Amino acid sequence: MINNTHHHPDENMLIEFSAGTLETAASICVSAHLHFCSRCREKLLRLDQVGSQIMSQSSPIEVADNAFDQVMEKIDSTDLSSTVETSPAADTTAKNTIGEGFPFSVKKLINTSLISKNWKRLSSSVDVARFKTGQDNFEVALHKICAGGKTPKHDHRGTEYTVVLKGSFSDENAVYREGDFLIREPGDVHQPMGAQNGECICLSALSAPIVPTSPLGFLMKPWLRINPM
Amino acid sequence: MTTLNNSEKRSDQWSQLLISVGETRDRKAFAQLFEHFGPLLKGFAHASRNEGWFPGLGDDLVQEVMIKVWNKAAGYNAEKASATTWIYTVARNCRIDMLRRKSNTQHLPLENEDFWHEPDEETPISLLQQKRSEDRVQASLAQLPKEQDQILRKVYLEGKSHAEASAELGLPLGTVKSRVRLALQKMQLIVSKEAQE
Repeated sequence: MINNTHHHPDENMLIEFSAGTLETAASICVSAHLHFCSRCREKLLRLDQVGSQIMSQSSPIEVADNAFDQVMEKIDSTDLSSTVETSPAADTTAKNTIGEGFPFSVKKLINTSLISKNWKRLSSSVDVARFKTGQDNFEVALHKICAGGKTPKHDHRGTEYTVVLKGSFSDENAVYREGDFLIREPGDVHQPMGAQNGECICLSALSAPIVPTSPLGFLMKPWLRINPM
Repeated sequence: MTTLNNSEKRSDQWSQLLISVGETRDRKAFAQLFEHFGPLLKGFAHASRNEGWFPGLGDDLVQEVMIKVWNKAAGYNAEKASATTWIYTVARNCRIDMLRRKSNTQHLPLENEDFWHEPDEETPISLLQQKRSEDRVQASLAQLPKEQDQILRKVYLEGKSHAEASAELGLPLGTVKSRVRLALQKMQLIVSKEAQE
């Protein structure tokens, strides 16, 4: 896979991801970025090696005498006709068409957790599809910006993580393409614009509410409010 | 030189056993893996007294991880990672899910291993590179200054976020972040400025 991504999570984020301590909202987007970015995957592999060496040098604690037998018993009671676990992606990918080429975690969310099967219009140029995550401290959604579409200017009260899944968009600072990873911190006001040559789909995870700043902002409210489900 | 050879053999041994489990459902090989990794996994679970921690976590984690190892062994690719690294990633994901299940009443539709699906077609680094880098990690961990070693243990073994480590050690978050990066730079796992940028 060609690596075209130019905006990556920073090293500390990858380290926390590798150690499994990164907050879930960020993890969802880091995971989506990794799908597109071989460079970060390679870094991650090395970081996982650190974790594995630290684990293997830690103090072992004796397990119960019957622990192995218990495990074998459980295995035997489920290991019917030598069922070999295949990747769960196999059955989920077949069904869906929106998620063609999307990261596994996003496909799984699309297949299991969409609040509504249809895109919901937010403004003349932005549609949203929100996921039900069962969490009240973050919100995850897909956003679709139509070709050349302008989104209302908005500010962020919380941290927003975004990964471009398809197409591209731009803001005052740069153009973001497939796989690019962005963080918007509270106080960053921005106005993303869809590329002229086609629609853009982004995954975003928001760890606290965002506040619209423009008069059109009220249109963005459903998108930007934390909506615990 | 001898130590490097030994560690290479050692990692080979676990990887070979894991391959046998995957290919032929080899129970003897699985028993050997269990004997080696079971106590390490239990130690790994006990090191993380975070939110959600409960007394039976160690035994539960050993059981859950080893069952996953058995079920997923067929998908193990020795060219991508050694058995130790592979089992670590299974353990890390299980530990997060177990802690999450305990501390959250609501159900997250994703499990941690869902975040770790790599495109299948590619082998990121060669087997030889992978072994070399693993040996280097092992050797360089032992050489780290105490405070850097301590911070990596907090992060990886105790499963503390940077923010939690900062609170526990009474250090500013920025110091924790740079100390972690410094440790990894010393181990030559990351470079301070990416050459290609």
